[in-house]
Amino acid sequence: MTDIGLGAPAGTATGTRATPATVARQPFGKWFRQVGWRHLVGVAALFFALFPVLFIISSSLNAAGTLSGSSLIPTNLSLINYRELLNGTEAPFIDWFLNTLYVAGGAAILNTGLAAFASYAFSRMRFVGRRAGLLSLLLIQMFPTTLLFVALFVFVTDIGGIFPGLGLGSRTMLLVIYLGGALGVNAWLIKGYFDTIPRDLDESALIDGASHTQIFFRIILPLAAPILAVVALITFVFTLNEFLVASVVLGQGKSENFTLAVGMFRFIDGQGGEWGQFAAGSVMAGIPVVVLFLFLQKYIVSGLTAGAVKG
Amino acid sequence: MAVEIEESRSTSEKPAQRSRAPLGGLTLGLVAKIIFLSTINATSLWTLGQLIPERVWLGVAFVVLATVAIDVVYLTKARWAIPIKYLLPGTLFLLAFQVYPVIYTAYISTTNLGTGNILDKDAAIEQVISTSVGSTESGISYVARAAQSEDGTLGIILIDQRTDPPEILVGTNEELIVIDPADVVFDGERVQQAGAFTALNLGQAADFETELSQIAVPAEEGVIVLKTFSRAAVVGYSLQYDEAADVMRNVETGVIYRPVDGFFRAESGARLNPGWQINIGFENYERVFASEAIRGPFLRVFVWNWAFAAGTVFFGFALGLLLAITLDHPDLRGKRFYRSFLIFPYALPSFLTVLVWQGMMNRDFGIINDLTGLSTPWLTNPWMARGSVLLVSTWLTFPYFFLVSTGALQSIPKELTEAANVDGASGPQAFGSVTLPLLLIAVAPLMIASFAFNFNNFNVIYMLNRGGPPIPGAQTPAGSTDILVSYTFRLAFESGRGQDLAFATAISILIFLHVAMFSAWSFRKTAKLEEI
Repeated sequence: MTDIGLGAPAGTATGTRATPATVARQPFGKWFRQVGWRHLVGVAALFFALFPVLFIISSSLNAAGTLSGSSLIPTNLSLINYRELLNGTEAPFIDWFLNTLYVAGGAAILNTGLAAFASYAFSRMRFVGRRAGLLSLLLIQMFPTTLLFVALFVFVTDIGGIFPGLGLGSRTMLLVIYLGGALGVNAWLIKGYFDTIPRDLDESALIDGASHTQIFFRIILPLAAPILAVVALITFVFTLNEFLVASVVLGQGKSENFTLAVGMFRFIDGQGGEWGQFAAGSVMAGIPVVVLFLFLQKYIVSGLTAGAVKG
Repeated sequence: MAVEIEESRSTSEKPAQRSRAPLGGLTLGLVAKIIFLSTINATSLWTLGQLIPERVWLGVAFVVLATVAIDVVYLTKARWAIPIKYLLPGTLFLLAFQVYPVIYTAYISTTNLGTGNILDKDAAIEQVISTSVGSTESGISYVARAAQSEDGTLGIILIDQRTDPPEILVGTNEELIVIDPADVVFDGERVQQAGAFTALNLGQAADFETELSQIAVPAEEGVIVLKTFSRAAVVGYSLQYDEAADVMRNVETGVIYRPVDGFFRAESGARLNPGWQINIGFENYERVFASEAIRGPFLRVFVWNWAFAAGTVFFGFALGLLLAITLDHPDLRGKRFYRSFLIFPYALPSFLTVLVWQGMMNRDFGIINDLTGLSTPWLTNPWMARGSVLLVSTWLTFPYFFLVSTGALQSIPKELTEAANVDGASGPQAFGSVTLPLLLIAVAPLMIASFAFNFNNFNVIYMLNRGGPPIPGAQTPAGSTDILVSYTFRLAFESGRGQDLAFATAISILIFLHVAMFSAWSFRKTAKLEEI
C-alpha cells in the first residue's frame, strides 16, 4: 500500500499533465468550466478519502512511534515500528494475523461452499417447501448474528464446559459460529447467478448421462466462478471486520488467540501509546485486503449492485 | 464437503467414466462418500459419549437427529432426497448457530441471567453450602503456615501430624492438594516451600491478613480455615439445606433463608451468594419502559440510532452521487485513477480505519487538532461526538455509493437526457426529472440494505468512541453516541453491576422486532419477493 498511497500525488499530476493538449484545442476558461473543475472536486475527494491512509502510512514510518509525534509527512524515516511489532514483544501480531487468516479464510471458503450447494437446489430443483425455504432464509437473515451475542456467549461457555477445546477463546468455535450465516444473503446472491446460467446446459448433460452431482461440479460451479469469488471475498472481508462476536468468543481467552480486530482494538484503545506499532500493523493488515479489492474490482462492483453490503 | 456420485448405474453405462473408477465399481465419489459418512458417524458417537454423562439432552437430541438425517439422506437413492443432499449441510449450521441462538435469546430475556444468577438452583445450593464457614471445630487441626504461589495465589501450607511421617498439603480456595515430599523444602521444623507455594513470614502474612482469613479450603467434613498464623482447623458448614421446606438454615444462629427472586434471603434482607437462574416472565421488558432512569437513555439511544443510520446513508449517498456525477464526464482524464483510489475507505478493513480516525480525533494528540491548531473536543463533547461519528461513517460509506451510482448512471441511456434537452429542459431540469428518478429506482434497494447494515454498525460506534461520552445520570451504561447494539453490548459486559445478560437480551429482542418490521416494510417496497 505504501507505494500505491505515495503514488497518489504523482498520479494526480498525470491527470493534470494531460491538460495542455486539451488547452491547445479550446480556451482554458471553457475547458475549466466543462472539465477542469471536476479535477478540483476529484482531488478534494481524494484528499478526504486518503488522508487517514497517508497519515497511518506516515505514522508507521515515523521513528517517534507515538500519536503526538506523528505527522502527515514522516519526519524521522525508519522501519523500527515494523521491526518491533514483528518481534512481538508488545503484542503477538503475527499470531493475530494468522488467526484472522484461519478464521476469515475458513469462513469464506466454507460459507461459499455451503451457500453454493443450497443455491443449486433452490435454482435447479423444484420441491415442496422451496419457496418457504427461500423466504425463511430472508426472515432469519433479519436477525443479524451480531445481535445474538449474549446467547452465543452463554452457549459457547456451556460448550466449553463439556469440550474444553471449543469453549471461550477457541478460534475454531468462532469459525463454526460464522458458518451459521452461510445461507442467507449469500445463497440469494448465488442463486440469482445460477438462475442466469441456461438450463439447456444441464439438460444436455443430463441426456448424456451426467448425474446431478456431475452437473453441479462440472458445469454450474465453473460457470459461476465470478459470483463465487465475489461471495468469498465479501465473506472474507466481513469476517475479518467482525468485532462483536469475535470479542465475545475470544476476548476472555489468551491474547495469542485473538483475531486482528480484537487484538488491534485492545492494543490501541484509548491510549495511543504504541501508535507507531499500531500503524505498522494496520499497514501490513490493510495491504492484502486492498490488493484483493483492486484485483477483483470488476467483479465486486457487479456484486455490490446485487445488494451486498460490507462493513 | 464430500463429492458424491451416486447413480453407479449411469457410471457403468458410460465408458468414459468407467475409466475413472480404478477399484472396479468404486468411483472416486463413492470412496469420498464412505470416508465422509464414517467420519461424521464416528465424530457423532464420540460427541454423544461426552454429552450423555453431562445430561445435555437438547445437544444429544440435535446430534442424534442430525446424524440420522445425514445418513438417511446421503445413502438413499430416492428422488425426494436429492434437494436435501444440497440443503442439509448449510441448514444444520443455520439451525445450530442462528435459529437456536434466536430462540435461546428469547428464552434468556425471560430469566434473570446475569452475574450472581448464572447457575441452576442445585449448583447454587451446593456452592452456597460449601462456602459457608462455621465456627465449630470438628477436632481435626493442622500446623499451618500462610503461603503464596509464584502467580500470587494465596494458600495455606498444612502439616497433618496424624500420619507418620507427617503429610504436607497445600490448600487454596479451590482445592486441597497433597504435596510430594520430594517437593518440600524444610527450614528446621517448619516448611519453607511446598510445590509452587512459598511460605510467608509473619510480616508478609500480616499484609494479607484479611485475604488469609477468608481462605476456606474444601475438605471432606467441612472446610479448613486458618485459626492463627500457625494453626488451621477443620470447621463444619454453617448452612444446611432443608429439602422438604426448601429453605436454607444456619445451624449456628438459627436464621432461616427462604428462596426469593433467585436468592436465599433472610427476613433481615441479607442474601446468600450465589443465586440461581429463575424465570421472571416479562420483567426485563417492563424494566425498559417502567423506570424513567432506564427509559430516558433508552429512548435517546433509539432516536440517535435512527438518526445515525439515516444520516450515514443520506450523507454517504449524497457525496457518492455528487462525485459520480462530477467524475462521469466523457472528456475527463484519469477517471479510472480516481475510481481506484476513492474505493480505499471502502476496501480497507473498517476496524483499522475507525481506530485510525479515533487517533486522529484525539483532543490532545490527534493530528486534526494538531494541524488546525485548535483543541476541538471531537469525541468528548456529546454533539461533536455525534458529528464525528457521522463524519467517519460517511467516510466509510460514500465510496460504495460512488461506485453503484457510477454504474447506475452509465446504464441510463444517454438518449433519454438528450430527448429531454431537445424538449427544452435545462441540464439540472433533465437531471432532476429524468436521471435522478431512474437512478433512485436502481439504488433505493441498496440504500435500504445500507440503512439496515448501519442500523447495527457496531464497529464505528464502539471502536471510535465506545459509544461515549456517557449520558449524565443514566442508570444503565448509555452513551451519547450509543446505538442499540452497542448499548446492549455494554449492558451485557460493561455494566457496573456486573453482567446484566438477561436485560441485554430483552433489548436484543426489541431490536429484532424493530428490524423485522422495517424489513417487512422494505420488502414490500422493493417487491424483491416477486422474483422467486
